[in-house]
Amino acid sequence: MSSIRFDAVGKSFGGGVLTLQDINLDVADKEFVAIVGPSGCGKTTCLRMAAGFDFPTSGRVLVGNSEVTKPGPDRAVVFQQFALFPWKTVTENIELGLRNKSVARDERKARVADAVAMIGLGGYENSYPHQLSGGMQQRVAIARAYVLDPQVLLMDEPFGALDAQTRVVMQEELVRLARLNPRTVLFITHGVEEAVYLADRVAIMTRRPGRIKEIVDVKSVRIAERWDSHSRIEDVMDLESFVHLRTHIWKSLREEKAGADH
Amino acid sequence: MPLSRRSAVGVTTLAVVALAWVLLTGVSGLVSPGRFPTPADTWAAGIQAMMRGYGDATLVVHVLQSLKLVALGFLASIAVGVPLGLLMGWSKTAEAVLNPVFMLLRPIPPLAWIPLAILWLGLGDGAKILVIFFAAFVPSVINTQVGVKTIERPVIEAARMLGTPRWRFVREVLVPGASPMIFTGLRLSLQASWTTLVAAELVGALAGLGHMLNLAQQDLYPGMILVGMVCVAIFGALTTALLGAVERRALAWKRTRGGAA
Repeated sequence: MSSIRFDAVGKSFGGGVLTLQDINLDVADKEFVAIVGPSGCGKTTCLRMAAGFDFPTSGRVLVGNSEVTKPGPDRAVVFQQFALFPWKTVTENIELGLRNKSVARDERKARVADAVAMIGLGGYENSYPHQLSGGMQQRVAIARAYVLDPQVLLMDEPFGALDAQTRVVMQEELVRLARLNPRTVLFITHGVEEAVYLADRVAIMTRRPGRIKEIVDVKSVRIAERWDSHSRIEDVMDLESFVHLRTHIWKSLREEKAGADH
Repeated sequence: MPLSRRSAVGVTTLAVVALAWVLLTGVSGLVSPGRFPTPADTWAAGIQAMMRGYGDATLVVHVLQSLKLVALGFLASIAVGVPLGLLMGWSKTAEAVLNPVFMLLRPIPPLAWIPLAILWLGLGDGAKILVIFFAAFVPSVINTQVGVKTIERPVIEAARMLGTPRWRFVREVLVPGASPMIFTGLRLSLQASWTTLVAAELVGALAGLGHMLNLAQQDLYPGMILVGMVCVAIFGALTTALLGAVERRALAWKRTRGGAA
């Protein structure tokens, strides 16, 4: 069991500015939840608290049944800026977490090979990150997280730094992985379409101080309308049910952005 | 510019300098040999130093003595400076505690340590190594410290997220992450070591290139002075090249094929 629970979480930073207010959100075991919200609403801070990089000023963040006190390999993070080790090869980057867990050498090699195959980077095992394109680097970062077989995956705008075409490929890839091998995922994005395409539920946040404004159930629609029978992202995005959900979330977010202009 | 062309230009420059030397001192006599030696004088002094020795030792002994002092002073400065720089770059507490002391010591010219070094360690090698250490130590510390701070925060967070234990973190994240700046520091340290060596050997040395230079000055022997200077230049360049080779190996990840770095 590896749920994520935000229990009345508030967060203010140094100057006392309130960033997050009364965040209540449950991500169930093996559920994929995306958080969307205007820039600066504190959505990344939510993820950082689940990761153990930041801590709530009030309330609690629980993973499983225990409060988060520090980062750890049970909660693998995929960063927006990839955050690969530039001095390590693809293999060494993916392998580090397994070495830290003292996984035996043979098993390590096998799991790294599986992970490299999963992200389709065979032949690049001994390349350094700077020799790879942005999309390839982010695939390595995803493999580095998946190889740990973590209970929880935390993804902070993982496709934000990619060009549009690469992003689409990566989104399809992530859906494939998520269906193949479901994990508890918290996914931060400002892309509404991405959120609807990937997530079981989408949490919409208000502008600062961020609160959860609304949680939209996508999964029931996806199953009812058989989205997964379409393999291509553009076919799913053309479906009326998809457009309906997207527009709903879009409008809800738009109210927040309009509010911010006053 | 292609490499072959660059080295051709370099060789030409050296040839022009050598030609000017020959013309100014030997052929035209515009510069008196008492002020600057002719190529022939220098050659003779070099042969003398190598075969019969000068100042109680042959040139090889002088060179080896100087290399030993530079190597020990330089290595000691790395051994202390790099870990201290890592600590000051990583820990805000360590930085707060050590920085004031460092700021106070930093402006003291290395040569100003000579009297104290002699008082503490006498006229032997120890005092000279200590002075070289003081000179080489500062760039090692500062550049290592800056190097740690240049590591991007997400990279450090990724290492923590992966559960990297402390020493592996130092070895595989902090040190390689800071290594481009560490090597910048080492190059400056090595340069400082050679600069300080000659001055340190001016006092109470029995051998060494600085000792040789000092003696040649007292003997009014310009040829021998130039031999000493050329030796410092050659071995300074050789050790710098050696460090450069180590650096290229250690930082291979930065400039492998297809890279932007």
